[in-house]
This record gives sequence, structure tokens and C-alpha cells, in this order.
Amino acid sequence: MTEQLSDHTTDAYALQVQGLTKRYGDLVAVDDLSLQIKKEEIFGFLGPNGAGKTTAINMMVGLLSPTGGAVLINGQDRARVPKRSVGVCPQELVLWEELTCVENLTLIGDMYDLPRVVTNERVRSLLADLALSEKAKARVSQLSGGMKRRLNVALAVVHDPDIVVLDEPSSGLDPQSRLLLWDFIRSLKGKGKTTILTTHAMEEADALSDRVAIIDHGKLLQLDTPQNLKRTIGSGDIIEIQLAEPERNETVIAGLKSVKGIQEIKDVGGKINVRALNAVSLLPEILERVDAMHARVSDIAIRENTLEDVFIYLTGRGLRE
Amino acid sequence: MTVKFLSLAVKGLKQALRDRRSLFFLLLFPVVFMIIFAFAFGSPSSLGTGTTPHKIAVINLDRGATASINNTDLHINAGANFTALLENVTYEGTNTHMFTLTNASADQAQTLLKSRGLDAAITIPENFSQAVVSLSNASARTEATSDIGLQVINASSAQAAALSAQLPTNATLPRPSNVTAQVTVEGDTGSAAFGAAQGLIFNVLQQYESQIQATASRQVDATLGQNQSQLNGNYISAAVEPLTGARSFTYFDYQAPGLIVFALLLQVSSVAQDLARETDSGTLTRLKLSNMRSFDLLFGTLLTWIIIAVVQILLLFGVAVALGFQWSGGANSIELAVFIGIIGGIASISLGLLLAAFARNERQAAQLGVLIAVPVSFLTGAFFPLPSEPLGTAFGTTFQVYDLLPWTQVADAIRQVLVFGSSFSDVAIYVGFAIVLTAILFIVGVISYSRVRLRAE
Repeated sequence: MTEQLSDHTTDAYALQVQGLTKRYGDLVAVDDLSLQIKKEEIFGFLGPNGAGKTTAINMMVGLLSPTGGAVLINGQDRARVPKRSVGVCPQELVLWEELTCVENLTLIGDMYDLPRVVTNERVRSLLADLALSEKAKARVSQLSGGMKRRLNVALAVVHDPDIVVLDEPSSGLDPQSRLLLWDFIRSLKGKGKTTILTTHAMEEADALSDRVAIIDHGKLLQLDTPQNLKRTIGSGDIIEIQLAEPERNETVIAGLKSVKGIQEIKDVGGKINVRALNAVSLLPEILERVDAMHARVSDIAIRENTLEDVFIYLTGRGLRE
Repeated sequence: MTVKFLSLAVKGLKQALRDRRSLFFLLLFPVVFMIIFAFAFGSPSSLGTGTTPHKIAVINLDRGATASINNTDLHINAGANFTALLENVTYEGTNTHMFTLTNASADQAQTLLKSRGLDAAITIPENFSQAVVSLSNASARTEATSDIGLQVINASSAQAAALSAQLPTNATLPRPSNVTAQVTVEGDTGSAAFGAAQGLIFNVLQQYESQIQATASRQVDATLGQNQSQLNGNYISAAVEPLTGARSFTYFDYQAPGLIVFALLLQVSSVAQDLARETDSGTLTRLKLSNMRSFDLLFGTLLTWIIIAVVQILLLFGVAVALGFQWSGGANSIELAVFIGIIGGIASISLGLLLAAFARNERQAAQLGVLIAVPVSFLTGAFFPLPSEPLGTAFGTTFQVYDLLPWTQVADAIRQVLVFGSSFSDVAIYVGFAIVLTAILFIVGVISYSRVRLRAE
């Protein structure tokens, strides 16, 4: 799938990508990717590990030379745009361990030519927003994993960029830190920033993104709001059936396919996932068929359809595979 | 607005100071070496000599003289004869030559002595041949008068008259002049190698004198009969001249400046590791995303490590002096040594850049750094003098293979400055070459690192 680029308008878009391609020999890491990211939106970039998300992002911010295609930032060729327009929070913790939080942030402020007074104010404000004020003078090596993750995000925005790229920002965070970070990401939208959020956490993309692009094998599979994606592609609820003998999953799936009303049935991580609009009413018939096949159910659950289910529908595999 | 390379330099210094393990490696490791070497080589008798050839230079200033041999006037150059004797003389009962002669001017010999490229330098004075002729004539005259006098005592007057009649009608006894010559043997009097070489040289000179005396006596005896006269008078003498600034030179004095260069070479590993860490941890990528230019990173890195180099030099110098290093020269010599050391530091940083460009990770960079720095320390003569491996001659100086390493030039220059109190002009040639070689290495390092690490992939 390729998003059709609108001709009129560079003003409305913070970032436009046209036919972006990256090849490593025979391997196509990013395959003719085209999309447009609106100003001030939180844009979710969703895909499993190795889908090509980070490669695409690296090309968008200039860290990687594309094999083909173009990247426009605020309507201008990326190479001509001041570097301070973009802030990147990499997936890994990229910090100077021997420096303190303030020293890390001040160094980056200096690297973007910010006046020291401005940097100092930005540093103070960011440390407060990300609950790091108490650790301002602590060396990074003395911080907890969650604190490091938040500092990693702060380093991406200390120079006040228009576009913020957050690559798996909440990876490995405890729930409390994750919620704090989500609030911070939402606050960026309030400050007029465009945020590109790369994640394989569906819950995160669902909770934060205005629009979500699903990418796999370097290709854009779908692009829409989370609600639309769930409605149009993965409508209905999910029945998750765990058999006592998971090796019989394929046989049971074959036997259930003929049940009227089932939209989709798949083995996902050893469980049988049944998607149906009226899942609750189908449940008795499904259990009857399973019983008739002499299969024993060890666990069963009904839940709401998620973006992950949409992804599975689109790619045929789980996000963490 | 803050100057970016200064921010990066400050960042580098903070990281270096706070990383205790690296700091130990950089500053205390060479100090430990210094203490061990001072203990092992701090006394003058710490180096054995054996029966290996001694490296000496002969500066033959002899102008020659005219000698009358069998009533024929011949021009002789006794200095050349003595030099040939030194070249050919062997240890008793072996084919091993006592000396290996190096062609050198007086200045070159001085330089070589200071860098331990020579054990001793012999200067044959202008009037050496004249003194040899005098010695020969005096020997002949003494022998002749002794022969005649003895026969007169033992014979009748008639027989004595008959003896006199046997003398050729035109024969006259040679008239010795009062010309004396002093051969000087210059070297580091604290060095055991010099002590051994000097003893051998004196011995050979004595033999040479005896040979001249014996030859003169034999010629007279052939006419007047056998006798054994004893010549009174010292026509040729030898004296030891201590090398300037090396009156109490020990082997540790040679090694202490070398250990400073060794410490500078350890920077190769630290710089490579430091830069590789920036790549591994992704901080280099973060910097590349900013407005930082290659110049900022490279110059900032250079500044950090130059400051560390200065601290290294001063610390090691202080430790060396405390351990008995014989330091010549005043504050100026320290300033000059620091300046030269900085050149060595830049060479190390450049090599570190080169390694960081190609090392796969931080660990490999550190290992490669040590793998290169330690052998290069030996190749630069940091610890022990190196054998002669001439590459060619330029600017009146013979260049050795290892002179292509900037640290060799730096080690020689620092040694001359700190041990012998040499001025900048004395070491200008070393400094000049060190700068040129370092500049080449720096350009190669910067281009490699910039191309491999600072460009978009």
C-alpha cells in the first residue's frame, strides 16, 4: 500500500516521504514507502521487530542514506532543513554514563548552538516534566532504568525541535514511568510538536497515536486512525481458546471454520483466536464443536479487538515475533 | 553560545576523570613502570657488557705528517692507521671485533652518544701523526744512543772508533720534536658500556704506541745490534671526556624519558576505546544528529587528550625526578619537553582515530591499541637503545627504519632536552620530523575516522 501524496500542501504536513527505499544487497529493508505526517499529530509507526521501522526513521532524519526516494520536512528537502528541526530519541539508551543528567542535557543544548541561558531553562523544565529534578546532578550510571529511559527522551527534545521522533520510548518501563512518559508525549502535541512514535506496543500506539501506519517487511500495509483500523479491519471481539493439547490447534481450527459468523480464526502464539462480531452468542456452538472433536479446553477468554489483532490480520504474525 | 569543541573537550575530560579504571591505566600504569625501571636500572652498574662489539665513532682530525723512512720522506696519516687498527682489532682468541665503527661528524657523534647510539666517540687530534713521528724518532734516537753507548762501554776505544766508522757516512740520528698529542675518548661516564669501551680503546692505543716504538727500535737494532732501551717521555696520551650533562648517567636516565613516550603511546588505546565507545553506545549518532561538525568532535577530542598528555608528562617527570632521574636544564627544558610531548600525544591521538575508524567495537579498539602501542614503544627505543638499521641519509643525518615513527623522534628529543639540557635548536631536526610524521598520521586518522564514522551510512 502507498499513501497518495497530496499535491497542494506542504504547509499541512510536517514530514512527507515519497518512494523511500533502502536495499542491502538482495534484502529490501524499506520498500517504496510513501506517507505524510501532519503537523502537530502523534503518528504511530507500528510493526514487529525487523519490519523496517527504525531503518525508515533513520532515513527520514538523515542518519541513513536512502537507496531511493525523497524526504521532505516542512515542505523542504530534508538536507536543507536545519538539524534542530528534528529531535530523535533512539530505541537504545544513548547517554553519557559518566556525566550527570544536567551535563548530558547541557551538552546536547550546546551541540545545537542554544544560548546557555535558554539551555539551562529548558533543562530545568524538562527534568521537572519527566520527574528527574531530584536526580539532576546524579551521574547517569547511578540512575534506574526508568530514569535513564526518561532522560533518553529529554535529550531528544532539549533543543525544542518541531518534529520529535521517539523510537520505542517506553521499552522496558514500569507502568508508572510509562504513564508519566505518555503524559509527556501528549504534552508535546499541546506544544505544537509533531511526534512520530515508533513502537511495537499496540497499547501504546492505541493510547497515544492520532494515526497509525502499520509496516512489515519494509512495506506500508495500512494507515489510518486506531479506531478506524479496528473498525474496518478487525471489527468484532476476540475469543481466545487455549487447548490442553495445543498441538491439536490446527485440527480444531479446521473444524471451526464452518461456524457461521466467524470472521477469522487463527493460531496466535499457541492459542486459537476467533474473531466475530457477535462473539458471545457464538461461544456455545464453538465449545460444542470443540467438544465434538474430543479436544479439551484449558482456558477461554473473550476480549475487545485490539490493534494487535488488526496487525495479525494484516501480517499473519504477532508483533513480537 | 558555547563553542562546541570546547563543550566536547570538557565532556571528554569529565569522562576521563570519572572513569577510574581508564584513569589508572593512563596515569598510574606508566608510573608503576617508572618505579620498576628506576629500581631495576637506577644504578650505573646495571648493564653488563660482555664481549660484544662496542659501537664507537672515530673523529679523525689528523692532518698527517712527513716521516723520514730509510732516508725517504713519506707523508703518513697515523690517525687513519690507528682507525684501521680499531676497526680490525678482535677479542683475544675470537673472531669477534672489539668495535663497530660508525661514520659520524663530531656533532653527529654527540647526538648518537646522547641517544645511546654509540658507546664512545674517539677524537684523534690534528697533530696525531706529528706526535707519532716524534715518538718514532725519539724511540730510534734512544735506541741508537743506547746501542752505541753500550758498545762503547763494552769495547776498546779502537773498537768504538771502528763501530762509528760502520755507520753510513750520511747517517744522522733522528731528532725528535716535542710534539705531543692527546686522544680524547668521549662518552657517558656513568654507562658501563662506555667504561668497557674506554678501557679497550686505551689498551689498543697503548699497543699502537708500543708497536711504533718497537718498529723504530728494530730499524736501529738492525744496524747497531740488539738492545732494549726504555723511552722516557709521553708523546701520545689519552683522556676521557665526559659527555655534557651526563656525569652521573644511569640506565634509568635513558629510560625515564622513554617511559614518558610509552605513556603517550598508551593514549592510542584510550583514544581508540573512547571513540569506539561513542560509536557503540550510540552517542556518536546523537552528536551526528546535532549541529556538531566533524571538526568540533575531532578538535574537542584532540584538546581533551592533549590536556591529559600534559598531565601525564608532568606527573611522570615528577615521579622520575623523585626516583633519581638526573635532570639537566631548568624550567625551560620542562616546557620544551612538554611541547615535544604534545606532538607525541597528537601522534597517539591520530593513531587512536585510525583504530577507532576500523575497530568493530570498544573492546577490539582497546585491544588493538595495546597490541600496537606496546611493540611500538620498544621500536621507538623507549626502553632500550635500538640496533642500527639505516634507511638512508638526509640533512647530514643517517635515518634508521624506526625513525619513521614520530614517537622515535619525540623520545630522542625529550631525552636530549631532559637528560642533556639541549635547547630547541639542538633538537629542531627531531621536532621537525616529529611534526611532519605526526601531521601525516593525523591527516590519515582524521580522513579515515570522518569517512567511516561521521558520514551518514
